[in-house]
Amino acid sequence: MKNFLEALKRFFKGIDISMRESATSLIEHELAELENAFALLTMSMFSGLPFPSTGIVLRILPYMEREVRVMSKRSADLEDIFAETLSHFDID
Amino acid sequence: MKTYFFIGKGGVGKTTVASSFAVGKSFKKNKTLVVSLDPAHNLGDALNKNVFGQITKVSDYLDAIEVDIDEMINNYLKEMSEKMKNTYRYLTVLNIDRYFDILRNSPGIEEYATLEAIKHYLTLPYDIIVFDTPPTGITLRVFSMPRISIMWTNSLIDMRRRILSRRKMVENVKGPIEEEIDGEKVRVPTEESEDPVMRELFAYKSDMQALMSWFSSEENAVNIVTMAETLAFAESKRIMEALRLNNMKLRRIYLNKYLVFENVPEELAGKVEEQEKVIEEMKREFRDVEIKKIPFVRVSPQGVDALYSLYKDYVE
Repeated sequence: MKNFLEALKRFFKGIDISMRESATSLIEHELAELENAFALLTMSMFSGLPFPSTGIVLRILPYMEREVRVMSKRSADLEDIFAETLSHFDID
Repeated sequence: MKTYFFIGKGGVGKTTVASSFAVGKSFKKNKTLVVSLDPAHNLGDALNKNVFGQITKVSDYLDAIEVDIDEMINNYLKEMSEKMKNTYRYLTVLNIDRYFDILRNSPGIEEYATLEAIKHYLTLPYDIIVFDTPPTGITLRVFSMPRISIMWTNSLIDMRRRILSRRKMVENVKGPIEEEIDGEKVRVPTEESEDPVMRELFAYKSDMQALMSWFSSEENAVNIVTMAETLAFAESKRIMEALRLNNMKLRRIYLNKYLVFENVPEELAGKVEEQEKVIEEMKREFRDVEIKKIPFVRVSPQGVDALYSLYKDYVE
């Protein structure tokens, strides 16, 4: 009986996690896009585009670790961007 | 404190006029600092003293410095590299040295360093600070930088707010957002008050606002050093326009290397005529601005005494 209740609990917890995941997946995708855009915008000089205010970059770059990683990951995933986009809309 | 910028084309005599002005003010017992921001320094030549890289006493009330912009840039990058080594847990993400090479040569870095230098000297306890500036183009970009930076910072702040609000949404549903870096769990900030990027953006914005309001205050004045020539006049008009855009006050125009003859030599008759014509146009164009003529001298004044006599006769 105890095992059954435990399994039931895990089952509902699984449903809860999955619902939370699906509720936030689009927002998380948007968040990654925004973070990527933020990094691309502020560090455009590294891809050859001049940024009008270098001072801002010098100030914030030390704290941009997460954004830089998101940006690196996004550029690595670019080859499969179509599949990734489709996956967000549950299209197989 | 009062600040005076001397601005103009290369080779018109900015350094001579600026240093003469500084010497004159110091003779009136104002504690004065004259700062050369021009990478092609010759303030030391004008003062007959080596003032490169550090504030050097020239006379009782006068100090001078030729700012080493390259050294400043290197120091900023070094400071930033140290900060990054402390804050970046996952250094392999980017090759920092390569990024710094790009940053060192990126457009705008010189203007940024110049602006930082100005900001630094404004905090020093002087009655008067005289800035001898790089040629016009760079100086005008430096003057515009606070205004443009504020616009950019505002847009970045908006964008950052959007990022933080999305993070907050995710956090509300799924609990704190954590990243695992090298086996260590790090919480990602979701509030403005705890986000270091936001903090830096606000700090930068407030620095730029302070500079912008100083530039447009009554305590700051810009002087154009130029020559009575058609092209130089055209440039002066552009300077005036740029100053107006940044809400800065033009105090005086110095017409340097002004040709004065008892009998005009035939070869220079056209030049003298152009000179008079330009002055007339200038008076019409810059009605509220005082125009001072400094005659062409055979030998450039060097040393405190020579600069003071130039000040008494023409610059004051």
